[in-house]
Amino acid sequence: MPWWVATRERTLLSESNSHPTGAVAAADAEVELVPATHPSEKRTFGELLTSDLRALPVIIGLVALWIFFILQNDVFLTPRNLSNLLIQSTVVGVMALGLMFVLLVKEIDLSVAAINGVTAVLMAKLIVEFGASPWVAIPLAIVVGALIGCVSARWVTFVGVPSFVVTLGLGLGLNGLQLILLPTTARYGLMGTSVETIALAKIDGLAAWGVLAIGVGLYGLLVLSSIVRRRRAGLSVSMVKGLALPLVGVTLFGAVVVAILNAHQGIPVVTLVFSALLGLGGYVLNETQFGLHLYAVGNNDEAARRAGIKVSRVKMAAFAIAGGISAIAGVIGASRSLGVGVFSGGGVGGGTLLLECIAAAVIGGVSLFGGRGSIHAPLLGSLVIGSVQNGLNLMGVHDEIRLIVTGLLLVLAVSIDKLIEKFTGQQSF
Amino acid sequence: MSEPMAAVAGRPNEAASQAPLISMRDIRKSYGSVHALRGASLDVLPGEVVALVGDNGAGKSTLVKVMAGVIGFDSGDYLLEGQPAKIRTPADATALGIQTVYQDLSLCNNLDAVQNLFLGRELTGPRWFGRRVRRAECEVRAREVLARMRLGSLSLTRPVGAMSGGQRQNIAIARSILWTPKVVIFDEPTAALSHSAAAQVAALIRSLADDGLGVVVVSHDIHHFVVNSTDRIEVMRLGGNVASFRSKDVTGEQVVNAMVGGNEGANLAV
Ligand SMILES: Nc1ncnc2c1ncn2[C@@H]1O[C@H](COP(=O)(O)OP(=O)(O)OP(=O)(O)O)[C@@H](O)[C@H]1O
Ligand SMILES: [Mg+2]
Repeated sequence: MPWWVATRERTLLSESNSHPTGAVAAADAEVELVPATHPSEKRTFGELLTSDLRALPVIIGLVALWIFFILQNDVFLTPRNLSNLLIQSTVVGVMALGLMFVLLVKEIDLSVAAINGVTAVLMAKLIVEFGASPWVAIPLAIVVGALIGCVSARWVTFVGVPSFVVTLGLGLGLNGLQLILLPTTARYGLMGTSVETIALAKIDGLAAWGVLAIGVGLYGLLVLSSIVRRRRAGLSVSMVKGLALPLVGVTLFGAVVVAILNAHQGIPVVTLVFSALLGLGGYVLNETQFGLHLYAVGNNDEAARRAGIKVSRVKMAAFAIAGGISAIAGVIGASRSLGVGVFSGGGVGGGTLLLECIAAAVIGGVSLFGGRGSIHAPLLGSLVIGSVQNGLNLMGVHDEIRLIVTGLLLVLAVSIDKLIEKFTGQQSF
Repeated sequence: MSEPMAAVAGRPNEAASQAPLISMRDIRKSYGSVHALRGASLDVLPGEVVALVGDNGAGKSTLVKVMAGVIGFDSGDYLLEGQPAKIRTPADATALGIQTVYQDLSLCNNLDAVQNLFLGRELTGPRWFGRRVRRAECEVRAREVLARMRLGSLSLTRPVGAMSGGQRQNIAIARSILWTPKVVIFDEPTAALSHSAAAQVAALIRSLADDGLGVVVVSHDIHHFVVNSTDRIEVMRLGGNVASFRSKDVTGEQVVNAMVGGNEGANLAV
């Protein structure tokens, strides 16, 4: 009997419910099938570094940065400064979060900073010149941002021009539009429009703890529902690793943050907005079908297409999310600077804002080659960049040094990632 | 049918007399000036494994892609159970019960086995909840299918990019049978596999046909797999059909002759 005439498994396709798991009828087996070799589910540390623990190097780096700044300056660790640091990191963090959706599908949006600027100016114009309520102007700005994202996506997927080119050109065009929208004074002040209060508003005391409780509660429900589902389906569940550990971790982390912030006026509303976006983004990326399709398209768009995923629609959604979220960041930025002008959206060309939000995503672990990156990336990345800015400021170091340090950290972060892949022999996904 | 096969398969060879599941007639397809298919035909019968063989560039993969809805064709008829098939996208083909295991496997390396198995057809919660993937249910079904393929201990949580070629091949095959298809098409399923892994795949392909499915296999492994583990052999050359054999009636040499243009093979054509 030659090797290729192997065991027949006739029952392979019979109705699934008639076959309890593992029951394989191979009565007339002549050659015992060699079971595929299976590495056990226990993973080595190297493997963990490229999967579940991918954030570890960035977290270690962030802690090292903090220790350095704490040793340099006693002000760094004060609640007041940490609160400032969070507010400073928000615009870049929010932008990085939006951009991440585009990076995940293996595209790039170089117009996010320009969208940020132009929608902020549009909002200000509506409020200042046309007397629109912020409740109308802000949602409108967000919708316009999303629509701009749709246009780039359409151009990229339909015409086939690389997103790098489309969004580079579009960004410049939007910069021009931003200048056109501005009045001759080149500035709209937002004092007294109540937009300026967004960046100042804080939620303190019991209310802050209430907000934390709601956040933890929602997260708990999510984790619990997964566990219950697995239980019902008869799959193994680990109450400690699956439920207790994440919940306790999140609660502790949140409690520390809230306690610190409450020691200085409370949770900034912009931090709350960022947190809410992170929570929502995490849900979308980790739990929903759309999130899964983002990763699939980013890794292998042809496989995704063959699997019936509408690739161009997924990409359009990603660009729309990036555009809409850039507009949200634009509103926050406008509120922080109490007005809009040429400088909004990082100024012409996107300035450091564009570079920093790309850097934040990449430092946090989002790949520019698609299909890789988790929701903690924009948070960690923007905290690294924000900490460098804040810490060096406190040390009285000039801006030029800050840019050099940020640049080095970006290259370092990606290098560490590559080195881990090299030494563990594992490709991270 | 070759002797051992008939014995083991244990079913009368009535397949040939049944109506074809898929009938491709005179399919033409050009890429610009390259005529990839110049009037290719193929019938897929239930319970039968048909091998599609030919030299590199003969048009096998192109024909497979037309069947799978990955590419369109310029002219010809594509009949599914006697009716013109309305297949414009790969999703149309899958919905109509035609599953394909592609030469490149078409897996997403950053996703795990369960996610790959259900890709594009995830079991999800309601729309207003953002279509949350019902991971637990997907996992249970994935486990069932893998267990039936004797792959019960395959890791369900590690990215498939970190797996061996054989394991990835198995996942691609598992995906193709997950939704109980009518026809499964394999493009070079054994090319990258060790002997034992290839034997497993051959066994699996046979078991699909035994369950009444139509199976198409593109293969270059003429002397082993094609002549021994299939029922019928269609030889393609330069985008057309040049010969057709019952696998039990031919030797590997005759098939190879037909592939490269020798004439003696064609005399045995059915
Ligand atoms: N996307 C494409 N664009 C242009 N020409 C193509 C394309 N795909 C295939 N061809 C051409 O069509 C012909 C048939 O290719 P096909 O891939 O179907 O061959 P094949 O029989 O599968 O070969 P192999 O055994 O090497 O896989 C070849 O001449 C090939 O160069
Ligand atoms: Mg081919």
